[in-house]
Amino acid sequence: MSYGIQELMAVAMARSFVDGEVVVMGAVPGLPLAACRLAKATHAPNLSYIVGGSGTVNPEPEALPRSSCDPALSAAPCTLPLPEVVLLEGRGDALDVFCAGGLQIDAFGNCNLIAVGSWERPTLRGPGTVGLPFLPATRRSVLYTAAHTPRTMVERVDFVSGPGHPAHAGEDRPYRGTGPSLVVTPLATLDFDPESHRMRIASVHPGVTESAVRTATGFDLLAGPPPAETPPPTEEELAELRRIDPEGLLSEEED
Amino acid sequence: MTRFLDPAEAVSDLVPTAATVAVGGMHMSAAPMALVRELVRQEVRVGRLLTSPSASLQADLLIAARLVDEIMSPYVGFEHLGLAPSFRAAVEGGDLRVAECDEGSLTHALYAGAGGIPFLACPPGVELTDLPSVNEDFYRTAVDPFTGDERLVVPGIRPDVALVACAVADEDGNVAFDRFPFTDRLMALAAHTLIVQVERIVPAGSLADRPAGTTLPSFVVSAVVEVAGGCHPTGSPGSYPRDEQAIVAYLRAARNPAALAEWLDRAVRSFDEARGASVVAGLEEAT
Repeated sequence: MSYGIQELMAVAMARSFVDGEVVVMGAVPGLPLAACRLAKATHAPNLSYIVGGSGTVNPEPEALPRSSCDPALSAAPCTLPLPEVVLLEGRGDALDVFCAGGLQIDAFGNCNLIAVGSWERPTLRGPGTVGLPFLPATRRSVLYTAAHTPRTMVERVDFVSGPGHPAHAGEDRPYRGTGPSLVVTPLATLDFDPESHRMRIASVHPGVTESAVRTATGFDLLAGPPPAETPPPTEEELAELRRIDPEGLLSEEED
Repeated sequence: MTRFLDPAEAVSDLVPTAATVAVGGMHMSAAPMALVRELVRQEVRVGRLLTSPSASLQADLLIAARLVDEIMSPYVGFEHLGLAPSFRAAVEGGDLRVAECDEGSLTHALYAGAGGIPFLACPPGVELTDLPSVNEDFYRTAVDPFTGDERLVVPGIRPDVALVACAVADEDGNVAFDRFPFTDRLMALAAHTLIVQVERIVPAGSLADRPAGTTLPSFVVSAVVEVAGGCHPTGSPGSYPRDEQAIVAYLRAARNPAALAEWLDRAVRSFDEARGASVVAGLEEAT
């Protein structure tokens, strides 16, 4: 069965969720929401997820919404008022996984949603950082981007709006988080070396070569043994995903 | 006592020039667009525009009309429809001051403002970002008197005026949200003056059957403005969904100055708010 790249990304993200975890996501929730629902329908029946913005907990809309405040989300079994989502994000022991992205993601998993170039006169002004400063309070983060290019995957972000490694490491630090654990892109999945905290290739997607991933990355990914191939979606995963996404949001062409 | 005004009266009587104006609505939902359009019609300069954790057209439109001196917002954008064109152009062109902030700190600052709390310590995390270094008026450090640790703190914020959209008000001025109040309640409670735009007004006492959503008592509501369809083209929770075609029409127009000027004249300056109900009538009922 053929599948789209975003479907593969959703499957890779879903497999990273552990049963019982609580996941929070932000704007444009289609991909992480699909991943959460897929995980919950397969290996993680006790997963919980919060669609930030609406504050809805475990919504099962008939089709994947494009907006995190879509009316289709209102049929959720429970809703947290947004100020209380903020409270729990800060509390630090309530949320396990923060799904985040950025205009730029760097070698240590720092995210930048604010400005490319100087902050005062950016060449690209992003929307703003929303809740990304909460990344260190969340147990771990899963980063994703629809564009794996040397401009988005950079050695050092121009502005840290979502902290990555290794700032929150260390036992005397007030942060519960262990930092980004996974990065999912259209080319590969990537993780971080436990010693140096630098990003490395975890798996390359089917049909993508290691050198293509390195060429598309604006910094030197850690060297290692030849990476494995991202296992393609199983028939069961794909069938479930298409039940979650009957309108094919994840199959649409990226801009 | 709550006044019942039309948008023109509410803006001319209650929104001073160069004020800190908080505008509610999250992403493309529940933005008080009739009041925002009235700010444009009356060309009210906004000294500081404060938004919800995520704003869209309510912020970008005021920036497009060149009425905003400074913005304080954790997000201005259009989710899957893309970046906010006027915000982006204004910041990249050096024409708009940004008071950089994040969702958590802004929410806590509004809570503090609403409660008379001078400042609040932020939860750990923001100090690892570059935000405090570019907004020292908002993010400061203080020593935690209990532990001796240095902590980031933010001041309580009290907007001069808040503009918030809700589903319904009663004739006494009590106001009910439908489904998602977002952070609009905190904004409303923190503001010195609160103008609430509603879809409809119902008889006094008739909100008693929806106590969960009726959470703004008339004594905090300076004015109620009834505009059916007034959130358009953003959605109004429980009433109608966002009108994505109309939002895209703005985003396209914002690509060049002539098209933007034409759009502002047609969709804002000469728009008759009494037409709002018929504009949203064709949109599918929100679930």
